[in-house]
Amino acid sequence: MRTRGRSGVIAVTLVVALALVACGRDDDDGAGGEASQAPEVDTEGASGEIDVWAMGAEGENLQTLADQFMDEYPDITVSVTPVPWDAAHDRIVNAIAGGEVPDVSMVGTTWMGEFATLGGLDPTPANIDPSQFFEGAWNTTVVDGVSYAVPWYVETRVLYYRTDLAEDGGAADAPGNWDDLKAMVQAMQDAGAEYGISLQPGGTGAWQTYMPFFWQAGGEIIGEDGSFTLDGEPCVEALTYYDSFFEDGLTPPAAEDVPVEGRFANGEIASFISGPWMINIVKDAGTEEGTFAVARQPSEEAGTSFVGGSNLSVLEQSDNKEAAWAFVEYLMQPEVQVTWYETVSALPSVTSAWDDEQLSGDEMLSVFGEQLEDAKAPPSIATWEQVAAEIDGVIEQVTVGDMSPEDGCAAMQEAASGIGTGQ
Amino acid sequence: MTGRSDAVGAGPSAPTAGRSRWRDSLIAWSFAAPFVILFFVFMAGPILVAFVSSFTDLRVTDIRNPLAIEFTGLTNYLDVLSDARFQKAAANTAVFVVVGVPLTIVLGLAVAVGLNQGVVKARTLFRVGYYLPVVTSIVAIAVVWRLLLGTDTGFINGTLTIFGIEGPGWLSDERYALWSVIAMAAWRNLGFLMVIFLAGLQTIPKDLYEAAEVDGAGPWQRFKGITLPLLRPTMLFAAVITGIGYVQFFEEVYVMTQGGPLNSTLSLALYAYSQFSFGNYGYTAAVAFVLFVAIAAVTFFQFRVLRES
Repeated sequence: MRTRGRSGVIAVTLVVALALVACGRDDDDGAGGEASQAPEVDTEGASGEIDVWAMGAEGENLQTLADQFMDEYPDITVSVTPVPWDAAHDRIVNAIAGGEVPDVSMVGTTWMGEFATLGGLDPTPANIDPSQFFEGAWNTTVVDGVSYAVPWYVETRVLYYRTDLAEDGGAADAPGNWDDLKAMVQAMQDAGAEYGISLQPGGTGAWQTYMPFFWQAGGEIIGEDGSFTLDGEPCVEALTYYDSFFEDGLTPPAAEDVPVEGRFANGEIASFISGPWMINIVKDAGTEEGTFAVARQPSEEAGTSFVGGSNLSVLEQSDNKEAAWAFVEYLMQPEVQVTWYETVSALPSVTSAWDDEQLSGDEMLSVFGEQLEDAKAPPSIATWEQVAAEIDGVIEQVTVGDMSPEDGCAAMQEAASGIGTGQ
Repeated sequence: MTGRSDAVGAGPSAPTAGRSRWRDSLIAWSFAAPFVILFFVFMAGPILVAFVSSFTDLRVTDIRNPLAIEFTGLTNYLDVLSDARFQKAAANTAVFVVVGVPLTIVLGLAVAVGLNQGVVKARTLFRVGYYLPVVTSIVAIAVVWRLLLGTDTGFINGTLTIFGIEGPGWLSDERYALWSVIAMAAWRNLGFLMVIFLAGLQTIPKDLYEAAEVDGAGPWQRFKGITLPLLRPTMLFAAVITGIGYVQFFEEVYVMTQGGPLNSTLSLALYAYSQFSFGNYGYTAAVAFVLFVAIAAVTFFQFRVLRES
């Protein structure tokens, strides 16, 4: 049995955090106000060494792009440090607090608010043209009116469904609105699937499946005046619709311990909503080509989906920002974005890269490309992870527990307002 | 200590004795120094800082701008106590302690008494078997139990299916999750208590049992009249250690359920951890001190009940 005090561990971490405060430079991040981007940075004559942190497969493969970059910019040396996803958040926070930062870091889109409020990120210079990116992806870089990163690659959520089951049920067309989706799911279940769809009943990340329905109903997470607007009519509609799949027995009633792709491959689950990485996973699980397809999210007031992915930021305490931005600029070139897609299957954030045959010629990928034109991310606020955890909890209360959608909406709004936006 | 070293020094004159006492105490302190320094740097200091920060609005976003930190008095403590998730976590933790501690003690004691008397053959095998979970990584155990308790693919429900019984969602149904987790923890920890109780049983003189047997006392009377009273100090130790463990219940639920479903397995430590990862450092410090008070209260209660009268 463990006898060491957890409160002790927390206390130690706190003192370390406080001690680091003394070392960190106190800066006022001069970038406030109207300007959304910092003045241009001269990247032409950049030289020296830069350190780049990246997570997951990106961290393992980025060195190939760095090598190509160094061929073009022989004066700059790039060294890539792979960081495990689990440790990345805390390592970046500690780096910013201690002033020992990498020059460039990959940043999860939902971390932007926290790191920017911390004063750790350099405002994006005017060299970067926002219009080259998908709008939803660019918005993830903006904190309080200032951009602190560029979108590196994107992902969005669409509907995966079994075309054979849909045809058997007489609902072969991709769903246009909510009623269509509901009818299609019902038809596929009637055609022999155990469940017509698999929706997440709550737990970590359920908000990513729920939030598109909220946006489709016309909802906004944060209103004009900067406070949360999670309740109201759009929420009640979205939550009622989401819960109706559980009420009607169209989706598994609790989280399953079998991965969805296997159940999808053998036709027990007829559809689910997920991101581009599932294409290969679904094929590997044995789903025959031609028996499944992807479709855009249904459309009510809007047909909005969730946009995720990762951003690239230059750190405020970097001592070689010229070279750092030169490297970021290089990674935003459409050809390089396509190379990156070939390397790790990461979808380009730069819209013109989608003209490449590999992306535009692929039927499934073009659905993602279209969906990205109408995709949103939650606001970049420092407290988002905590708000999201509350939303996940309420979704579970409504789908699994016996909370009504109305009470659920009120609970989301109350919890979020209590947490605040951290500004 | 110094008194004795005076005798060793055997110096007749007063100044020598004084200097030797001073030197002895210097030597003593230099032996104690590693502990004292480590204690102040890594325990007392941080605890003090955490205590102070529990009265502030310190958040992760303040760490480069300490001037933004403000004292907020008891706000954090009031917020903690009125938070619904905290209350749920506190109620769950109370169940962990009230059910888990007695359950683990009863099981550990039963195994110890059984091994001490009944089992003669392969006694070592059983001791090792019961103790093995204690030295195995909690995370590894929790992962395996999660596989055993899975709703659709789990071993337990798979076995039940053979007999035509549809097993419940041991970890995914809020009615069962808490009890599943307690069962796992009790199984894991009973080995530790078994060793403690076995040691305690060794100290009870055999002739007491023989005398009682001559007087016609049955096995249950002997257990109630001799074993239990004489194990009282061991029992106190076991209860305190197990109690502290259950108040700080963390890894099991972190790996198996993440506190779900519907917060039915959320423990106080897991609650504190989630607040810490949200960057609410001041608030988390307040939770940590509430946890500290809870541990102190549980331990105090156990001392009152089990202390030798």
